Amino acid sequence: MSKAFDRYASLLFLVLGAAFVIGSGNISASAYGSNVGPNIFPLGLGSLLIVLSLRLFYETFKYKQEEKKSGPALDYKRFLIVLVAALLYALLLEEIGYVVSTFLFLLVGFQTMQKGKWLSSVLISGGFSFGVYFLYVNVLDGTLPGLPTWLGF
Amino acid sequence: MDAFHYLLGGFATAMQWQNLIFAFVGVLIGTVVGVLPGIGPISGVALLIPVTASLTGGLPPEDAATSAIILLAGVYYGAMYGGSTTSILLNTPGESSSVVTVLDGYPMAKQGRAGVALAIAAIGSFVAGIVSLIGLVFLAEPLSNVALKLSPADEFSLMILGLCALSGLAGKSVTKALIMTVFGLLLATIGMDNVSGVARFTFDMPELYSGLEFLTIAVGVFALGEVFKTILEKDVNDGEIAKISRILPTKQDLKESAGPIIRGSLVGFFKGIVPGSGATLASFLAYLLEKKISKNPEKFGKGAIAGVAAPESANNAASGGAMIPLLTLGIPGTGTTAVLMGALIMYNVQPGPLLFDEHPSIAWGLIASMFIGNLMLLILNMPLVKVFAKLIETPPKYLIPMIVAISIFGVYAVRVSVFDLVLLLICGVVGYFLAKNDFPMAPLVLGLVLGPMIENNLRRALTTSNGDFSIFIEKPVSLIFLIIAVLWITVPLIMKMRGKKVVVNVEG
Repeated sequence: MSKAFDRYASLLFLVLGAAFVIGSGNISASAYGSNVGPNIFPLGLGSLLIVLSLRLFYETFKYKQEEKKSGPALDYKRFLIVLVAALLYALLLEEIGYVVSTFLFLLVGFQTMQKGKWLSSVLISGGFSFGVYFLYVNVLDGTLPGLPTWLGF
Repeated sequence: MDAFHYLLGGFATAMQWQNLIFAFVGVLIGTVVGVLPGIGPISGVALLIPVTASLTGGLPPEDAATSAIILLAGVYYGAMYGGSTTSILLNTPGESSSVVTVLDGYPMAKQGRAGVALAIAAIGSFVAGIVSLIGLVFLAEPLSNVALKLSPADEFSLMILGLCALSGLAGKSVTKALIMTVFGLLLATIGMDNVSGVARFTFDMPELYSGLEFLTIAVGVFALGEVFKTILEKDVNDGEIAKISRILPTKQDLKESAGPIIRGSLVGFFKGIVPGSGATLASFLAYLLEKKISKNPEKFGKGAIAGVAAPESANNAASGGAMIPLLTLGIPGTGTTAVLMGALIMYNVQPGPLLFDEHPSIAWGLIASMFIGNLMLLILNMPLVKVFAKLIETPPKYLIPMIVAISIFGVYAVRVSVFDLVLLLICGVVGYFLAKNDFPMAPLVLGLVLGPMIENNLRRALTTSNGDFSIFIEKPVSLIFLIIAVLWITVPLIMKMRGKKVVVNVEG
């Protein structure tokens, strides 16, 4: 439990709640044949979220800051590499096709998790990306972005 | 005799060859999910929803839903079996409901009785699975008959009760759990309003017209959230794995564990029916019960076979029991059943009172398949336990990136949209940080799943009452549900204020 995190989170939820309340002001307040419109649910919930986040903000002053756990530090470097690689994977999936993007992502992922063993990394990445593509597209008749056209296939 | 008749029909569905394969694949993957450190039942089920959706793509809608849910339920109860393996062999629970099994399972393994402990866990799980299924068969019809008589106002209050039940006990802070519930409900309002057709909070983005996809959010917060946790916290175990020698338990072992298995199953089953209490709590209670009634309680913690049999039976019975409110009332009591419910809704199948009337083949096919699946698990787990134990050694180096790749594949295959992939990654990151700071994720997902239904019932009820909110307290049934809901939240709070220790449900 981190006091600072909870405080920021409560403020964030406060803003979100307010945004939903304000946003629901633009939605019609009645529907055909009923005086209960599509705005009532987000309006009520938004208000509730505001109350709850204020309550959480208030609570953060009450509880004691727990002493920092003496565990190993978080491994942000590996996490960021995997996250950025995954983001690129998602954004490039349609551009360079499923097989190529998956292969590259897995290779980067394997090597980030633990360096070395290149041969098995390449084999597993290749096997996974081709295997999933073949099974899904050829056996199950699904659709995935194929190999990029500039490869000449 | 009606239930028996329907059950036979269910067996006819479950025995179709493709459903046998789906059940088998489900329990097999479930066992693997339970054994592998880093993914629990909830992330396993979330991860497999999109994969299952693509597998069943060629089938007619009703059959696709049946097969998919048979597989996903198989993953759920299969993971409950598998979770014991790492507890016993590695001193690390594979999922939270096997935490108690560690206490006596690992000492047993150190005494060279690992195989026996695993076998008793498998037998206990099997008996528990069957006990909870028998309960399911007999309670399903009457419960759904009662539920059919509910008015919109009653249904609204019942769902509020479901939300409060899961929020009131989840996590360490009720405020945070409620925030997540309300936030989930709010996220559900994004998109086209299905009563009036008005677009809400879409900011003219076409991707948002159909709303945020439950599947993307669930895979993001559960599967990717777990993966990010493993990477960030270097959450890998490098402990010694105990050797397995003898597998078959002796007559003495069986005699000693028969009682704990039966009691554990009953405790787990009734705990499972109550929404929000979950399998972890059930296994704790079963363990404490055995210790209390045991003639030599000092043996517990040092390798008592009852200390393995009772909690393992209880957590399996609880997962079976949790299916009852899901199928009959449409109220998921645990995180995993909330994910299962989302899967059913994805297939246009509404869990709840009408399920047994409108889709008998799905409801009874699922129940029958759980009998078959439990039998498969027993057969799989007894002789193959050594093979599964090998899985523990799977290097996280390969496992972690592959789970990310499977998440991306699954979501893309179903949604075919890069927008959803980016949303998936965002949910993973946000999910990890929120969960790490005790913001529970299960209520969020439950809010997202129940949101549209709660809103529909709210508006239907308010329309009949001309906007008068008192309808919810004037109807006696609705009033009772609301009172229970309020008590569910307030009683633990009051107990806490009085300085009593409140057991919280840590599992998703």
